[in-house]
Amino acid sequence: MNPLPDQLPVNQSAALPPATSYPSPSVVRRRLLRRRLRVLHPAYWAPFAVMLVVLGLLWRLGAHRWPYLLPPLSDVGSELAGDPGFFLHNAWVTLREALLGLGIAFVCAFVIAVAVSELALARRAIMPVAVVLNVTPLVAIAPALVVAFGFGMVPKLVVTALICFFPILINTAVGLRSVPAPVLQVYRSIHASRWEMLRHLRIPGAMPYVFASLQIVLPLSVIGAVVAELNAAGSADGLGTTIQVASGRNNLDLVWAAILVLAVMGAVLLLAITVVQRRVLHWHDSHQSR
Amino acid sequence: MRSGAPAQQSGPEEVACAIELDGARRVYELPDLGHLLALHDVHLSVAPGQFVSIIGPSGCGKSTLLRLVAGLEAPDGGVISLGGRTPTQAAEAKLLGFVPQVPALLPWLSVLRNVTLPTRLNRRAARRGADRAETEELLRKAGLGDVMHQLPSQLSGGMRQRTAIVRALALRPEVLLLDEPFSALDEFTREALQELLLDLWGELEATVLFVTHSISEAVRLSDKVVVMAPKPGRIVEVVDIDLPRPRTQELLTSAEFHAYELKVRDLLRGAFEHGREPA
Repeated sequence: MNPLPDQLPVNQSAALPPATSYPSPSVVRRRLLRRRLRVLHPAYWAPFAVMLVVLGLLWRLGAHRWPYLLPPLSDVGSELAGDPGFFLHNAWVTLREALLGLGIAFVCAFVIAVAVSELALARRAIMPVAVVLNVTPLVAIAPALVVAFGFGMVPKLVVTALICFFPILINTAVGLRSVPAPVLQVYRSIHASRWEMLRHLRIPGAMPYVFASLQIVLPLSVIGAVVAELNAAGSADGLGTTIQVASGRNNLDLVWAAILVLAVMGAVLLLAITVVQRRVLHWHDSHQSR
Repeated sequence: MRSGAPAQQSGPEEVACAIELDGARRVYELPDLGHLLALHDVHLSVAPGQFVSIIGPSGCGKSTLLRLVAGLEAPDGGVISLGGRTPTQAAEAKLLGFVPQVPALLPWLSVLRNVTLPTRLNRRAARRGADRAETEELLRKAGLGDVMHQLPSQLSGGMRQRTAIVRALALRPEVLLLDEPFSALDEFTREALQELLLDLWGELEATVLFVTHSISEAVRLSDKVVVMAPKPGRIVEVVDIDLPRPRTQELLTSAEFHAYELKVRDLLRGAFEHGREPA
């Protein structure tokens, strides 16, 4: 007889309570709802609300003391409320430039990251160029691009794509190389092809790195679009153009209204990517801890 | 000599394949451009369906030997043959099941999908692994029936290691290679997994190479224990374990079993002391 407890079939002893148990489904549902609604509890939102009030007061103080530093918030608010359509339209223009540029950067950076991580030759050829590109202040390139490509959409897309390119490339390339050696050994011992390894091991394993880079480049994409617009003043629409024109006319209310819209836009983008990330990376450690 | 169930009935088709190492040699280049002789002149012959353990102090080349057989590294000399094929050909034909020291599961796939992924890759190999129903049966046998749709992060260490073993077995390999698969587990989990491994081996009829640190584990599981020594890595002796199967608890506490353990221990001590001698 084997006196060791055989752990594999679960030993159901009548005397012991089950190790895991659940209340009735209706109770579970109610508690889950309550957990979701805990954001409504003051302990959740009060610190932020207090902070907002403090910042509002400081702003007010600043606006009162140095009128050229900050316009009163109420003026900024009435500027926004006066013509919301104007801000929506210009925000859409800037957002479109930012996201299109980001999309172009993402496709290029992802493809190059795969090439760089698979081929040593490509790595040696491309990485030095990418690094030089990264250390070049792209804000300085923007005027040259406007000269080259005119006042249309193209220079904005180019600047945005250039700014977003490098973080995506580096993170993705590192992520593609992050598969642990024992995993690779298991799949090499069945002679999985390079493509199969890429498709089933490397690309899914790189996803946490890809999302980390997206969190970096989403705000950068808005910066890129605005910088390009600032350099092509009066050319077209967009919040950067709005700021350029308004500051030329000394219209501080409009400048700050546009800045506020840009800030909200960046925050919404970051929120969106975080939500997508939670969905896609539900398996990842960073979302498992409570 | 063979006392286990598998490979005794020689069907029309030989299921497991023999492993032959003839003068295998492996040299690593060190960062200072020196050379480390990891394996020196290794001769080993394993009959089809045998369970063979490889034991030795660290640095004796036992993992290197396993990687050579798995085709993960090429020898710098000598010949390795798995039923007449090179290790690379065996890998191409999907004859190998490899279980590393760590479970090496993909954290984004469920237990079931982790186990089935290797069977779905390298489809050019004519060999087919277990189908869906057989895989689920294997998982149930390994005590993973209730968790097969969970992610590896939701499992205990023992369950993850079981998943790694089932992943190798679902390929229905002819050669099963295990690199200290139980070294990170507690004693009870370890014993349960040894039982499981023997059960599944009995059904599978594969040739097994099992690298381990543990003397009693080696003696308990194996038909042969290969004792290795370091500096340079080499085989000092192959001990045939002539004990009947199944190896019951009485047998494990018998004088015979202890005699084998002592023999292996003495050989290891010799190997270890030799390894510490200045060259």
